[in-house]
Amino acid sequence: MSRMVGDRVVPAANGARPPGKPLEMRSTPLSARGEPMIWLTGGALVVCLVMIIGLVGMIVTHGMTTFWPRPVEQVTLQDGSVFLGIRTAEDDEPARTLYRTGNRDIGREPFRWVSHADIASIETPPGAVMVEREAWSVWFGVPERAVEVIDGEQRVVAEGYEAVMAYYHAEHASARQRRAEVERLMRQDLGRVNREMERQRLRVRSVELDMQRTDRIGSPMPLPAFVGAAAAVLGLLGVGVAVGRRANGHSVSGRWVRVVRLFCFLGAFIGILGCLLHAPWRGATMTEAELASLRDRTAQREVELQAEYDRILATIREKEAFDARQRLIIVEPTEGRFAPARQIEPDNPIQLSQVVRIVDTNAMGTGQKVGVFLSRWWEFLSTRPREANTEGGVFPVIVGTVMLTLLLTITVTPLGVIAALYLREYAPQGIITSTIRIAVNNLAGVPSIVYGVFGLGFFCYTVGAFVDAGPAPEVRLPPVWWWAGLGTTVAAMIMAYACGVWSRPVPGTEPSKAQIVLRRSGWALWTMTLVLAVTLVVRTPYFTGFFEARAADGSPTFGSRGMLWAALTLALLTLPVVIVSTEEAIASVPNSMREGSYGCGASKWQTLRRIVIPGALPGILTGAILAMARGAGEVAPLMLVGAVKLNQDLPVSGEAPYLHLDRSFMHLGFHIYDLGFQSPDSQAARPLVWTTTLLLLAIVLALNLVAIIIRARLRARLTGSTV
Amino acid sequence: MPYAGTEMSEKPTQGLRHVAFQTEPEKTQRVEYRVIEAIRRGEPVDPSVHASLKDCDGVIEIDSFNLWYGQAQAIYDINMKIPRGEVTALIGPSGCGKSTLLRSINRMNDLIGGVRVDGRMRLNGSPIYAPDVDVIGLRKRLGMVFQKPNPFPMSIYENVVYPLRIDGENRRRVLEEACERSLRSAAIWDEVKDRLKQSALGLSGGQQQRLCIARAIVADPEVLLLDEPCSALDPIATLRIEELITQIAEKYTVLIVTHNMQQAARVSKNTAFMYLGRLVEYGPTADIFQTPALPETEQYVTGRFG
Repeated sequence: MSRMVGDRVVPAANGARPPGKPLEMRSTPLSARGEPMIWLTGGALVVCLVMIIGLVGMIVTHGMTTFWPRPVEQVTLQDGSVFLGIRTAEDDEPARTLYRTGNRDIGREPFRWVSHADIASIETPPGAVMVEREAWSVWFGVPERAVEVIDGEQRVVAEGYEAVMAYYHAEHASARQRRAEVERLMRQDLGRVNREMERQRLRVRSVELDMQRTDRIGSPMPLPAFVGAAAAVLGLLGVGVAVGRRANGHSVSGRWVRVVRLFCFLGAFIGILGCLLHAPWRGATMTEAELASLRDRTAQREVELQAEYDRILATIREKEAFDARQRLIIVEPTEGRFAPARQIEPDNPIQLSQVVRIVDTNAMGTGQKVGVFLSRWWEFLSTRPREANTEGGVFPVIVGTVMLTLLLTITVTPLGVIAALYLREYAPQGIITSTIRIAVNNLAGVPSIVYGVFGLGFFCYTVGAFVDAGPAPEVRLPPVWWWAGLGTTVAAMIMAYACGVWSRPVPGTEPSKAQIVLRRSGWALWTMTLVLAVTLVVRTPYFTGFFEARAADGSPTFGSRGMLWAALTLALLTLPVVIVSTEEAIASVPNSMREGSYGCGASKWQTLRRIVIPGALPGILTGAILAMARGAGEVAPLMLVGAVKLNQDLPVSGEAPYLHLDRSFMHLGFHIYDLGFQSPDSQAARPLVWTTTLLLLAIVLALNLVAIIIRARLRARLTGSTV
Repeated sequence: MPYAGTEMSEKPTQGLRHVAFQTEPEKTQRVEYRVIEAIRRGEPVDPSVHASLKDCDGVIEIDSFNLWYGQAQAIYDINMKIPRGEVTALIGPSGCGKSTLLRSINRMNDLIGGVRVDGRMRLNGSPIYAPDVDVIGLRKRLGMVFQKPNPFPMSIYENVVYPLRIDGENRRRVLEEACERSLRSAAIWDEVKDRLKQSALGLSGGQQQRLCIARAIVADPEVLLLDEPCSALDPIATLRIEELITQIAEKYTVLIVTHNMQQAARVSKNTAFMYLGRLVEYGPTADIFQTPALPETEQYVTGRFG
């Protein structure tokens, strides 16, 4: 643009026009020139970019450098005291350095600010190492001896730094493997036995509860009666359809069959549902004698399980005893104390198997440092957290985040897409539809914590409690009332459907007064059906929950915070995003496509399925991507509905039912908050905040990237650019 | 209500009343527009239908047909028969209701909210606007091609067999056979036979329109409705489509809406001239263009107004 101003010099008039006054650049007002606006708009973009790049750059640099091994320095102070540590931070005014000094279990401060004025000398002695341990964080010292303790006798197997490191390299891998084996035995095998015991106990408990229930016994609805009721309902439906069809008068050929089929399915569904809820084949509950025999069998099984438990425990003890033989003596320079095995046993040196890694940075070349760097990253990604999350890895956190994001996406996308389809394609475009659309858009602006509160109150405590133990005894309807309600519901539904059919005007004519009244009654009847149906479900006398026995003991299964409810809460939170973007995508499918399809004799649904939805798919995916990104980054509602500081049990496992949606989970967003603000040792946790943030960014980016690639492919196919 | 809030390809209500012949005063003063003036005043007129078309074998019979968009009437009392096996053209200035009339035949106007009709239309003797007519079935008996080529974003093959697919036809052999037959009929087979699996959007405009014709005839319709099929095409593509129309007229009854008088003269056997929603004159094309009954028609087809 700016060039235009400069170029707008009158060309030499070829006699056609008298030469005018020469143009003066300076006289052009500033507002008419292009440059100021270019600078202004470009400057705004630069400011934005600088901030974004600064943010990402900071996260990446901090996140990437955390695991790089730094030299272990031996600092001698003016007063003569000596300590080992690594630099973690610097201050300019006053000039001081923060050293990580570790050795917490012998009462040292793990982090220490040292004023530069106090420092007499700094060395990097080749023997000084940093030991990463399973417990009590790091230890700084010099490896002096490796010993093997057999029957209380210490035998020195290596003496001096070089020899100890050689012994460490030779033996460490197998020691760690034994340790992992012990861990596995404790977690998996002992856990399995424990859970089996719990199952046995719950079985007896549920039978006891069943026998205590008085309203069930003596009121079973026999199967023939039930089949009769279902048939009557079906017949009623048939009559309703026939009447509706005759009155309607313009049904489509083949629709008759489809409608009957739909209603038969519906009737059969109600029948089967009733059968399942009522379970007439289960007959009467157990007799006292049967219960007694069940108790006997359970007790017997418990003895067996206890024996198995002891056997596994013995194996663990044996392995641990073997582990206890190999010990390292790593001496710190201040008082000459060595790293203890436990804080309460300061005289026992640390076991080899307790050492995660010895980093002798001062003696390492760059290659070895890279090795340590990569091994730390691998540990971070693949292991469970230790030491109140300040050490170890974030594997359960990653699993929790990815699972939650996927679950929320597969929940929210179909729901949102179907709702948007109705809103855009089927709903009459009027004031009600506009209101709903505005309301949906506004939902996107509700603070996410509100969703958290709602999720906790509704999903966890209401729906979850219902899933666990069914409706509370006082709200259960008497069976007679319940069946009467079911009849009313079905009747209301048939009438609502009939009203809908009758109120439809013949195409090309205006609806009559009666039809308008019928349509409104139809709405009222559908509302009534919905309310009745919900009431019937929440007040059913035939459902006592899937986890009744556990709930009776006060330990809810789905009735508390968990993965499922968190995913549903986030799905609700991201629903507006999906609905809005799907609506836009549907609207952007050209009308000529729809007309072409209708012109070919396609029905509305065929057009939607074959033309509109495929055409809108890139936009729908965009919505899913946005929902995913928003859901993955959300923390506040998760704190209420399921994210926890520590849960070693993953939401997926090899044990039935494989997907444990009732479990609480760890989440990267919450983990960052926890590391940064809830950690008992915030100095130690701080570097992990960066790496965890980096990881969260990477995961969101990866999930988005996958979706973006799919979308790009779809879009290319739709526009025919790749042929 | 179908897809409200999105743009329709045509908005027939707009300007309906305001479109008048843009005539040069010195030319028009000599001719007396009796019918046209009556139409402008909103009086009912008696269309001049030539004798040969009054009692022909009509595949589509239109009887006192009226149509309203909301409150605005777009079509007034149309009575005409579309003769079987021939090409019939609808001509007239913009907004005269010719497209609307065409779209009423396969009831595409049902998709627009607020459309109301009155009168009768019959396809091979069976009423189109009876309450229990299956609109989907009706549209399957009528092929339609639109103003703008609208191939679906799928492969050429899938485009052509789309009408069969939605009928549940999935036998590969049947589909391939129908596809080839129909593409040959639409004179595009040689151009696309090697790239049937490629996207139809990669074709040129003229090819796309012929593909749409192939799609319209694949299910063997009784009548082919063409709504200004060449208006978005260049002259060469137009020529090819016109040749194609002449070819397929041997097998199908064709009803074509066109803006282009030369096109009507070239491809059609009969021509109907419409003005402001009313039929003005309807007769064999040769008569309409050479010896029209009304001076208005002569003025219009010779391009002196319109």
